[in-house]
Amino acid sequence: MAASALFILDLKGKPLISRNYKGDVGLGEIEHFMGLVLQREEEGALTPLLTHGKVHFLWIKHANLYLVATTKKNGNASLVYSFLYKVVEVFCEYFKELEEESIRDNFVIVYELLDELMDFGFPQTTDSKILQEYITQEGNKLETGKSRVPTTVTNAVSWRSEGIKYKKNEVFIDVIESVNLLVSANGSVLLSEVVGTIKLKVFLSGMPELRLGLNDRVLFELTGRGKNKSVELEDVKFHQCVRLSRFDNDRTISFIPPDGDFELMSYRLNTQVKPLIWIESVIEKFSHSRVEIMVKAKGQFKKQSVANGVEIAVPVPSDADSPKFKTSAGSARYLPERNLVIWTIKSFPGGKEHLMRAHFGLPSVEKEEEEGRPPISVRFEIPYFTVSGIQVRYMKIIEKSGYQALPWVRYITQSG
Amino acid sequence: MPYLGGEEALRELRRALANPHVQADRLRYRAAVLRVIRHMAQGADVSGLFPEMVKAGAAPDAVQKKLVSLYVRAQAPRQPQLALLAVNSLRKDCAHPSPAVRGLALRSMCGLRMPGIQEYLQQPLLSGLRDKASYVRRAAVLGCAKMVKLQGDAEVDGALVNELYSLLRDQDPIVVVNCLRALEEILKKEGGVVINKPIAHHLLNRMADLDQWGQSEVLTFLLRYRPRSEEELFDILNLLDGCLKSSSPSVVMAATKLFLVLAREYPHVQADVLVRVKGPLLSACTSESRELCFTALCHVRQILGSLPGHFSSHYKKFFCSYSEPHYIKCQKMEVLCELVNDENVQQVLEELKGYCTDVSVELAQGAIFAIGNIARTYTDQCVGILTELLGLQQEHITSAVVQAFRDLVWLCPQCTDAVCRALPSCEDAVQDSEGKQALIWLLGTHGEKVPNAPYVLEDFVENVKSEMFPAVKMELLTALVRLFLSRPAECQDTLGRLLYYCIEEEMDMAVRDRGLFYYRLLQSGVEEVKRVLCSPKSDPSLGLLEDQTERPVNTWASEFNTLAPVYGRERWVLVSARPPAEPSHACSCTDSGNRDSLISEGNKEVLKVHPDTGSLTLIPDVYLTAEQFEKTWLSLDTSCRLSLPWGGTVQPDTVQTALHVVHIQTVAMSRAGAWPWKAYLSAQDDAGGLFLTELLLEAADAELQVSVKQSEARPEALQTFVSALRTVMGAVAGLGS
Repeated sequence: MAASALFILDLKGKPLISRNYKGDVGLGEIEHFMGLVLQREEEGALTPLLTHGKVHFLWIKHANLYLVATTKKNGNASLVYSFLYKVVEVFCEYFKELEEESIRDNFVIVYELLDELMDFGFPQTTDSKILQEYITQEGNKLETGKSRVPTTVTNAVSWRSEGIKYKKNEVFIDVIESVNLLVSANGSVLLSEVVGTIKLKVFLSGMPELRLGLNDRVLFELTGRGKNKSVELEDVKFHQCVRLSRFDNDRTISFIPPDGDFELMSYRLNTQVKPLIWIESVIEKFSHSRVEIMVKAKGQFKKQSVANGVEIAVPVPSDADSPKFKTSAGSARYLPERNLVIWTIKSFPGGKEHLMRAHFGLPSVEKEEEEGRPPISVRFEIPYFTVSGIQVRYMKIIEKSGYQALPWVRYITQSG
Repeated sequence: MPYLGGEEALRELRRALANPHVQADRLRYRAAVLRVIRHMAQGADVSGLFPEMVKAGAAPDAVQKKLVSLYVRAQAPRQPQLALLAVNSLRKDCAHPSPAVRGLALRSMCGLRMPGIQEYLQQPLLSGLRDKASYVRRAAVLGCAKMVKLQGDAEVDGALVNELYSLLRDQDPIVVVNCLRALEEILKKEGGVVINKPIAHHLLNRMADLDQWGQSEVLTFLLRYRPRSEEELFDILNLLDGCLKSSSPSVVMAATKLFLVLAREYPHVQADVLVRVKGPLLSACTSESRELCFTALCHVRQILGSLPGHFSSHYKKFFCSYSEPHYIKCQKMEVLCELVNDENVQQVLEELKGYCTDVSVELAQGAIFAIGNIARTYTDQCVGILTELLGLQQEHITSAVVQAFRDLVWLCPQCTDAVCRALPSCEDAVQDSEGKQALIWLLGTHGEKVPNAPYVLEDFVENVKSEMFPAVKMELLTALVRLFLSRPAECQDTLGRLLYYCIEEEMDMAVRDRGLFYYRLLQSGVEEVKRVLCSPKSDPSLGLLEDQTERPVNTWASEFNTLAPVYGRERWVLVSARPPAEPSHACSCTDSGNRDSLISEGNKEVLKVHPDTGSLTLIPDVYLTAEQFEKTWLSLDTSCRLSLPWGGTVQPDTVQTALHVVHIQTVAMSRAGAWPWKAYLSAQDDAGGLFLTELLLEAADAELQVSVKQSEARPEALQTFVSALRTVMGAVAGLGS
């Protein structure tokens, strides 16, 4: 890999911060970057990998910043991109939001972090939990933090530091499933995908050993409990703390968790799911004067569940004006800058149907060029419900001191 | 810049830094240092404050130390004399009780890129390697690499290398990975770090402790290791199986590459790996990060090159969604083209058709070309869709469709009739140069099947004066002469006018020449014209050549997970074969440590060959034909044989360019990726002696066999020639690895 240097640029391509790790690519090289981006954008051939002379630029864009890594080696692209995203993640955890302003305000910390994240072009400590132990916003705790002696245990657990103590020992388990669905205009489902993640928030003392039980179909078949409701998980990925060998042998998920928030595992379901909120729309366009849009939304999930914060974004022509709305529930807003009508429904119980009518005036002169028709998109969140039916059966917590700990489980399904 | 030349501001800063009251108060002192850094970041010249800053670095506050080291690193190259001051205080810090300070001091000291610093570095580095805090060891290990890089050509200290090898057994996983990285840099000239059996097994056992960066790099280093037995190989593959399921895409990719390379002799294992990696790759293709998604898509294309149909059942995953950036949509369309099969062709075409009317011109045209590509296999359906698109009368769509038709007719002559039926009525909508050329070519070549062809061309001739592009005029000339052969009565008048215009009024010399050529050709009689112009109208065999499908996995396994697939095959060849960086370029890196740029370095050596060869001067631009070469080659005995170290594959373009620089002509050469790879070279010196050379590479990672034949026996000239050749090939080999 070995990135030679890392740059953070503003939208105009001016370097806000640069850190030259190896010194084999001059800092001046970055001046070519913005030109290249603009040129390629004009040609319609912009790619996240650009080259000038012998220097390769790998870049990502975050808010109003470009993060660029330069290298001369024929390295591993996905590693560099992962690293750049990691940098963004770490910065976000430090400054809440990563943008030009926060970089300018905190550039001392940014430099400190860049120093710790990478040395000589190789990623070093990137775990923000561990970084936060010795690089703090105030920088006051510094002297005590870093002098901790590294663990002398041979099988050092790099993701958890020793001697963590909590008064109340608790684990929060969030099962979050996001549904990606694409429905064509005639109502057939083009693409359906469920991406699930299990997130843990761990407040446990010492070095606890956790075991998580799911209603995994393979496991049920192994133990002969085929009758129970079970779920077939695909493409399961775990946090590095999970002992993969044990999962392969007997499908138990056992691990020593890092402290605080982390994503334990993610999975994918390819099974066809029907859309949870079904949208039908009718657009009537009376030429030169007005357009009427009628949107019907129907909750196609269990009656007991309620979808929260449903937001239906309906695209409208860019030259529409004087909006009028009528809704059977919730409220609608017109966002002229995004050419959208946002229809928000705070709570949407399953099985119900809601209607919205929108009415727009159109200028009498029609625009020449044809506009793209973006799809209607829906955002929602349904708590206490999973599309896949995955369930946490148990969570066992074992620690030497033998304290009692409480696991809490929460299920959420949201739009992808 | 408000701060540039702010003498006043500088003086005030100096006063603040030197004020004993400020120095006594930690927070105020730090704030003053912070102000200096802010000035520096804004581009002001703060080098005058060096002594004060160094003094500030000696204060106990660790944050302040960091700030000062940032300052020192930036300013040291400008003030090498004063930088020694800083070195002194940093050395003191290396013995500080806090490991954080020790590590920081080591890192800053190694970060000072200035000559002569090595002698101060050695001692602290060695004690840093044995430090009890892993934080310090991490910094020290990489520090060694930095120091060696600063040394440049000097001999590498063997004791240091041994020390680093022994640190591979360190308890801290990052130290282990850093050791590998450092050794790789230090031993670059000897081919990098050596992975023998104990080291490989040790690394495999430590795999679980490493973070994702470490894992992917160790997987890359393990590529060097060749298991002794089949059993060992499969043990390794079993051990690493978990990596294929890692949550980090970079680890998945690195593991895939390792598997493919290790199992190069077991095609079924490779196929199995590709099946297992399908899931992770697909989820990377739908990942939130666009760049990772893009990288994954590029690799999917690479795999499809060898295993067409591998992803066919997942074609829906490659449908574009509205908000994706252009580059991802393009990649997805390419993928769709490659995975099309009997079952999904209907859906894929339906989807692509949807993109054809997209607002983005590039996307729409890309989709049309994609349909054109699919048309090579599913001709009828695609021609139907394309014809339908013509009905939209949109400029960019029609232009792209016509271009797609042109390429299609050339490869699939069976669809000519359908295309010709669709052609009339689209001439008004084509405005750009590419589209016009395609349309004119089609009308010229297949004009006998398009009823109104002569009249469309006549329109073009009418407007030829206002035509902007010479290429269109050339195409028009050829097309009209061709059409004249099949429909003389309708074309004669128009052709006459066009020829008159081209010869008498046209300003572009190429067009005028072409016009004159046809004029003279026509003078020599119709039979002669027919003989010259009636070339074949289609060539279906070309289609097969173009999609050489099913390249074996081994041809790209070594490129997997590098930048090469991300650039795409053709572009990568261009990028990597680009002539060495222009000199101004190399100078712009003011840092002395320019060691990495093998290419410019290699080039310098190559150029040096000329002055000191003395007895040998190769004449530029001597060309030997292949027959001459063969005759001479067979008549001579080999005067010299040698083998050169070589790693990886050969980039013929690079080799050729490099050889050309030293005036060695390449007579013939196998294409990239062919095994065995051969090249024949010739050169002539000023005394008239010929040097004929054969380069032979049996397989990737073998040694390059060189045999040289000489027309006159002159040992000293031969010696110089061989050493020149050796230098060039050495430089090229350095690029390849």
